[in-house]
Amino acid sequence: MRVLVIDPDHARAALVAAGLQGVEPLEVRHATLYDEAEVLAFMPDVVVIAAESPDRDTLESLREATEGAPRPVVMFVDRSEPGLAEQAVRAGVAAYVVDGLAPGRVRSILDVAMSRFALTQQLRGDLAKAKADLESRKVVDRAKGLLMKERGLDEDGAYRLLRKLAMDRGKPIGVVAADLLAFAGVLRGDAS
Amino acid sequence: MSGLSELRLGFIPLTDCAPLVAAQDLGFFEDEGLAVELVREASWATIRDKVAVGALDGAHMLAPMALAADGAILIPMALNRNGSAITVSTALVGANLAEVVAARRASGQGPLTFAVVFPESMHNYLLRGWLSGQGVDPDQDVRIVVIPPPRMVERMRAGEIDGFCVGAPWNAVAEAEGLGRIQVTASQLMPGGPDKVLGVPATLAEQRPDDLRACLRAVIRGAAWADDPENRDDLIAILAHPDRVDAAPAAIVRALESEIVFHRDGASLPRREDGLWIAAQMVRCGQLDAGADFDALVTRVYRPDLYPA
Repeated sequence: MRVLVIDPDHARAALVAAGLQGVEPLEVRHATLYDEAEVLAFMPDVVVIAAESPDRDTLESLREATEGAPRPVVMFVDRSEPGLAEQAVRAGVAAYVVDGLAPGRVRSILDVAMSRFALTQQLRGDLAKAKADLESRKVVDRAKGLLMKERGLDEDGAYRLLRKLAMDRGKPIGVVAADLLAFAGVLRGDAS
Repeated sequence: MSGLSELRLGFIPLTDCAPLVAAQDLGFFEDEGLAVELVREASWATIRDKVAVGALDGAHMLAPMALAADGAILIPMALNRNGSAITVSTALVGANLAEVVAARRASGQGPLTFAVVFPESMHNYLLRGWLSGQGVDPDQDVRIVVIPPPRMVERMRAGEIDGFCVGAPWNAVAEAEGLGRIQVTASQLMPGGPDKVLGVPATLAEQRPDDLRACLRAVIRGAAWADDPENRDDLIAILAHPDRVDAAPAAIVRALESEIVFHRDGASLPRREDGLWIAAQMVRCGQLDAGADFDALVTRVYRPDLYPA
């Protein structure tokens, strides 16, 4: 497991390393400030950052970015912020963890953060697929409309024709529908 | 006991935190029966999370960030208009950016890197608009990264970024250090455009409406005070303090003289048209679904009805 700890205070990195003893292979690196080159070179499995670190915004933006490498992030909150970690976790805000935790809990916290991150990435992928499916349905509807108009078919007949084209050509019906619309556009002179 | 209602408010070290700092240091909160703890925070994400869960009762906030918070955060007032600027490193001063982009691509160098303060920020939208105007595609031709305001200057000094869009005083600080030159200010790109707001938890408006109104009255008074040229020297002194913005007075004065508007001409009002403009930018940047009901979103977040008459 590769862990990057970003914290001006060395004590936290030592605590994380102590808590992960026995995990093999293990590499815990400590950085005072976020450094992109270092993150890309190290490719940590999880980043632990002090909640009071200004670099949090940079890390958060990496989670949004399509390029670069999104990493699960665990935040340690100072004890001077009573209740923040609990409230934030309840609200689903982020993986906040109260400072002063026993080393014995480090492992499970990092594991939870990593699996939650994997789940979020999965959900994002599912959402993108659902959107693509919806888009494909819209394309099929438009292609059906075109066939109904041009070939005088009813809706059912138009769909059967599309399905036959898809089967004959061994392509998904959404692709066939998109091709049909594109060719219809060319024939009308929409594109050269 | 003091008998005062307690509130915790957060800010980021930037000149436009002035209405909050003035209200605190000049006793305007106390005049309204409030005991305010003003907390300097290190990142916008932490500000957002703390306000969203009620760990802060309000904060200096990027306007788009409140719109992106799923209704957990309301905007009952604006803190300022304009104030940010775009700075490029001295190596790029006077250069044609589109030509630089093409030359770097031809020679296999990596893209130019620009920094903004957060994905959901006016700075991001203004920088993208400005780059487009220079014939540079903000998505294809350059890399845009996020760096917190107080760290912009050191990252430019380290040669990691070629330009940035950030609030005052950090553009003037970069110029004073001879690292870069201001190319354009927000007031030139979008006169009177929105910038920071006071973001408050939706729960505060529900549960403590009187305290919220008292808080708004004090911050509005602070904004009016900060606008008055007669108070400028005092304002610079309180902003320069190490616990506040912690920057040189000479750098702070610049945006105050010509750029930032805190209160005059209705600047403190949370205007719906600001929210609608921002929502449109969020769609362009893929931060908001194009099918979202912008009107309902802006109505829920921008709350001129909470602004004290």
